[in-house]
Amino acid sequence: MKGWTGNILRIDLSNRKVKKESFGEDFARKWLGGRGMAVKTLWDELKAGTDPLSPENKFIVVQGPLSGFSLPNAGKTVVAARSPLTGGYGDGNLGSRITAQMRRAGYDMLIFEGRADKPSYVLIQDDKVEFLPADEIWGKGSYDSMAWLEKKYGKAAGVLTIGQAGEKLVKFAVVRSMEGRAGGRPGMGAVMGSKNLKAIVALGSGQIPAADAEGLKKRGTGDLKQVGDIDKKTGWSRQGTTGVLAWCNEVAALPVHNMRRTHHPEAWRLDGQRLEERKVVVYGCPNCTMHCGIAIHDTEKRESELDYENVGMLGTNLDIFDYPQMACLNYLCDDYGLDTISAGGVLGFYADAIEQGAVKGDFRFGDFEGARKLLRQIAHREGVGDLLAEGSRRAAEKIGNNSIAYAIQVKGLEISAYNCKFVPGMALAFGTSPIGAHHKEAWVITFEINQTSRDSYGPEKAQKVIELQRIRGGLFEAVVSCRFPWIELGWKVENYADYLKLATGIDWTMDELWQVSDRIYAMIKAFYAREFPGISREVDYPPAVWFDPKNADTEGPIAGKVLDRKKYDELLSHYYRLRGWDERGVPTRATFEKLGLAAEAKELAKFVKLT
Amino acid sequence: MKITVKAAGYLVHQLGFSEREFSFENSPTVEEALATVGLKADRPWVVTRNGQAVKAGERLQDGDRLFIAPIYSGG
Repeated sequence: MKGWTGNILRIDLSNRKVKKESFGEDFARKWLGGRGMAVKTLWDELKAGTDPLSPENKFIVVQGPLSGFSLPNAGKTVVAARSPLTGGYGDGNLGSRITAQMRRAGYDMLIFEGRADKPSYVLIQDDKVEFLPADEIWGKGSYDSMAWLEKKYGKAAGVLTIGQAGEKLVKFAVVRSMEGRAGGRPGMGAVMGSKNLKAIVALGSGQIPAADAEGLKKRGTGDLKQVGDIDKKTGWSRQGTTGVLAWCNEVAALPVHNMRRTHHPEAWRLDGQRLEERKVVVYGCPNCTMHCGIAIHDTEKRESELDYENVGMLGTNLDIFDYPQMACLNYLCDDYGLDTISAGGVLGFYADAIEQGAVKGDFRFGDFEGARKLLRQIAHREGVGDLLAEGSRRAAEKIGNNSIAYAIQVKGLEISAYNCKFVPGMALAFGTSPIGAHHKEAWVITFEINQTSRDSYGPEKAQKVIELQRIRGGLFEAVVSCRFPWIELGWKVENYADYLKLATGIDWTMDELWQVSDRIYAMIKAFYAREFPGISREVDYPPAVWFDPKNADTEGPIAGKVLDRKKYDELLSHYYRLRGWDERGVPTRATFEKLGLAAEAKELAKFVKLT
Repeated sequence: MKITVKAAGYLVHQLGFSEREFSFENSPTVEEALATVGLKADRPWVVTRNGQAVKAGERLQDGDRLFIAPIYSGG
C-alpha cells in the first residue's frame, strides 16, 4: 500500500503500553484518512454513552494520504474524540510539524487511550515511544510549553500541546501547535487534559511511502510555487482572511453585540486594511506558500496572530473595536488554549444575559479589562469562569430565563463569525455542520448573497451547502489538506485527485471522492444519533433569536428582517431529502446501504429506529 | 450624480483607494461605474449596492454606495 503508511500506534496511557497495528487498503479507500478514519474508529471503539472526559474516551491524531508531502497545503493534522462540548463526534485540524514527523515515524494514526497517572507527555521517535513527566510545563500556557518542548527536541520537532484550559477541562479547549496554530474547537484540548496528556512530540526519520515519489515531488514543488505565485499576484495574504470583515459589515452579516446586531460604524477599525497596517510578522503552516497567520502587537507588545474569526468573535462581537485590545484577548486565548470563536461567543452571551437581566454581573459589552479577566477565570475555572467554561449552551441552561434563545450555538458549539440573522443558506450550513456550528464545513454566504436572492429558502441553497460540505468537510478533512488554495485562489479541486493518484497509485474520480465525503457525513450523524437516540431535526436549527422579529435590525440592508422558521424548516427538509436522510436528520437505511454502511446501520438500529 | 465606491482586501492596492466618491454626468450601470474606477477583471470579485446583491447592468442612482471585495472563504 502506498500513500498511507498503513500503521496505527495505539498508546495506552494508563498502563504505559504501546501497540503497533495495521490497516488494509479496504479501510483506507473507504475512509481515506483524517476525519474519515477518525469517526469510523471512534464509532467502532467507543461504547455509546462514553463520558468524553473519562479514560474510556479516545483521543486520536490522524493524517491523510497527502499529509506531509510537499503539496499545496498538506501540512495539517486532524485531532478527534467524542466531544465534551457537544456530546457528538468532535474534531479539528491544525497546521503542525507533527504532520510530516508522524508520517516519517511511520504512522497515519495515533490512538490515545486511558489516563496517565500524572501529568505527562509522550515522545514518539520512530518505533521508540516514551512516557515522560510534564511537571515542568503543567500549569503553563501553550507558548511556554511549546518553547520548552522545542528547546528540548528542536524547532523541527512535531509538537501538539494544550494550555491551562485543556488541563482544567474547559469544554472548548483546543489543541495548539506552532505559534498561533490551534484546532479541535469542540473541546479536543479538554480530552487531552482529561488524560493528563500535556503534549505529544513526534520525530520521524523515514520516508512517507508514495506510489510515484518522483512524480509527486515534481508536481508538488511546481504546484506549491504556482499557488505562491497566484497569491503574490492577487495579494490575498496581505490581509489573509480578515479582508472579509469589511464585506460582512457592508452586507449586514457581521457578529456585533452577541450577534444582536449585524453591522457597526466602528467596524472599519478592525478591518483587513487596518490589520495590514499593523502587521509585524506573518506565520504559516508547513508546506504552505500563502501564509495567513498575520501577527500584530497587542496591548502588551506581544505578537498575536489573527484571522477573521478571531477578530469577529473577540472584537466586533464584544463591541471591542480597538485592534491591540482584541489582539490581547486573542493572545490570551491562544496561550490558555481556549478556542477563540467559542470564547468570543461565550463572553458575548454572558454580556447579553447580564444586559437582559437574566443573570447578575459586572461584565458589559466593550469592557476589555472585564473580558481579559473573564478569559483567565474561564481558563482556570475560577468564579463565574467555572460556569462559562462549560460553553454557552450549558451556561444558558443553568442561568435559565430563556437565555438559551440567545446562546449563539448549534449542538453546543458556538457559531463562527457570520451573523445569519437573515442569511438562510449560511444558517443551514451552521445548522447542519455535523460537529456543531463550524464555518469549515460549508461557507455558502458569498454565493448566497451575491448569486441568489437572499430571502430565498429554495433547494438550490441546500444543494450548495452539500456541495461545499463534500469539498470542505469531506475531501479536505480526509486527505488531509488546507482548503485555502482552492477557495481563496481558485486552485482546482480536481488537482487533489491527481495528487491522490501520485501518492496512492489509485485512480480516483471526483464522484468516488464525493461518496467518501457523504459516507463521512452519514457516519458523523450516526455517531450523534447513537449518543442521542431521541434525535430530532431541532438539533439542526440555529438559535431561536435569529427567528425573533423583535431581534430584527432597525436600519441598514436587512432592516425588519429575520429568518422565517417555517421556511427554514422547508430548507432543512430539502437538505435531508438531497442527502437521503429522514425527517429527523438521520440517514435512511437505504442511504446507509448505498454508502457501504450496512453494518453501521445495523448497529445504529439498536439505538434508533431507522426508516 | 455622486457614487461612493468602497473597496476591500487586495483590491485596495489595485485601485489605490479604500473609499472614494465619484461624480458621473449620467446614471451609469454598475459595470460602467466599476470600469471608470479602474477595477480589472483578472480575478473574481463581488459587488454589492447599498449592502444588497446587484447585477452588472443595473443603473445606479445618486447617493448609491458600491462595495467591491475579492471572494473570501472567511477562515
